[in-house]
Amino acid sequence: MRSPRLSACAAALLFAGGAAASGLTGVEAVKARQTHMKALGASAKAVGEQVRGGSPDLTVVKAEAAKIDAAAKALPSWFPTGSGPSSGAKTKALPLIWTDTGGFAAKQHALAVAAAKFDQVAQAGDTAAINPAFHEIAAACKSCHQTYKAKDED
Amino acid sequence: MAAEERESPRVMVWDAPTRLVHWLIAALIPFSWWSAHNDHLPWHRLSGFTILGLLIFRFIWGWVGASTSRFRGFVAGPARIRAYLGGRLGAYVGHNPLGGWSSLAMLAALSLQVGLGLFSIDEDSLEPGPLAGLVSFDTARAIAHIHHLTFWVVIALVALHLCAIAFYAARGRHLTKAMVTGRAALPPGAQAPKLAPAWRAGLVAAIAAAIACFVAHGLKL
Repeated sequence: MRSPRLSACAAALLFAGGAAASGLTGVEAVKARQTHMKALGASAKAVGEQVRGGSPDLTVVKAEAAKIDAAAKALPSWFPTGSGPSSGAKTKALPLIWTDTGGFAAKQHALAVAAAKFDQVAQAGDTAAINPAFHEIAAACKSCHQTYKAKDED
Repeated sequence: MAAEERESPRVMVWDAPTRLVHWLIAALIPFSWWSAHNDHLPWHRLSGFTILGLLIFRFIWGWVGASTSRFRGFVAGPARIRAYLGGRLGAYVGHNPLGGWSSLAMLAALSLQVGLGLFSIDEDSLEPGPLAGLVSFDTARAIAHIHHLTFWVVIALVALHLCAIAFYAARGRHLTKAMVTGRAALPPGAQAPKLAPAWRAGLVAAIAAAIACFVAHGLKL
């Protein structure tokens, strides 16, 4: 049986760890996240072009689906504490990510579920299911960005 | 001046196709802004494709349309601009030398705006422009950012255009009415504009629509 004090200690350690625990400074974590997100966006673009074209190239879809699934699983580690605007880096990640942790985790989970399902239908070559499954991923991206990402300044 | 205008014969200065293109673009610029800002990207794309068709029409019409719509007729050189600013230009119909350049600048800025939009993509890869497939995700995102910035160029030129209209209105020349009815007083000594036949407008419209559709489908038939 774990003592309440020990749990509190573990929680404090986890919280204090943050960016440092990932071995990156806040600024490095922002840069790494942007690189990951751009790769994810490129995969989504590549799949979208196959899906919209009418006759998708399954080799492309399968390869990108696997990448998207892996990225969705890794995504929670892209947001260490201290990698928000307070890091000093130029980032559109809103501080809400680190205050509304429950809500943010739910969005990440929604993406992970959608990505797993998409990877499954893609690897099975289920062309009829690929299009709706892909749109669930894109919707998950958008839904999270709307709440936790700053809008483009212009 | 008012008395003189009443005595002068009223002639067709802006032909119907030029006016139609003008007012459709005037309506579609705010609609494009609105649809983009309220996340109606399918409407935004459709609006952009329509503007693309109108621009293609207008550029062809600038070679084969009515004399007041032709670039050769209204794109003035430095001598004409100096004469106009010095009040020595004499009688003319259609664009004055500054107005001609203002129109050309707006057409160029809109072409850039539509052209960039074709290659743009949103951050979620949900709403690509029809030509976004020709460039990488990073490039398409960078183009989308420029597409946002260049809208300010369009805004600035439209604002200048509206200021010029207000400036002439304050001096008793109502340009908007002529762009609605097409008719304006012909100053003594000026030649009435030569209009183009309706079939030619129809042919140019068909060509412009075909090109715009081809581009909207990602350069596929």
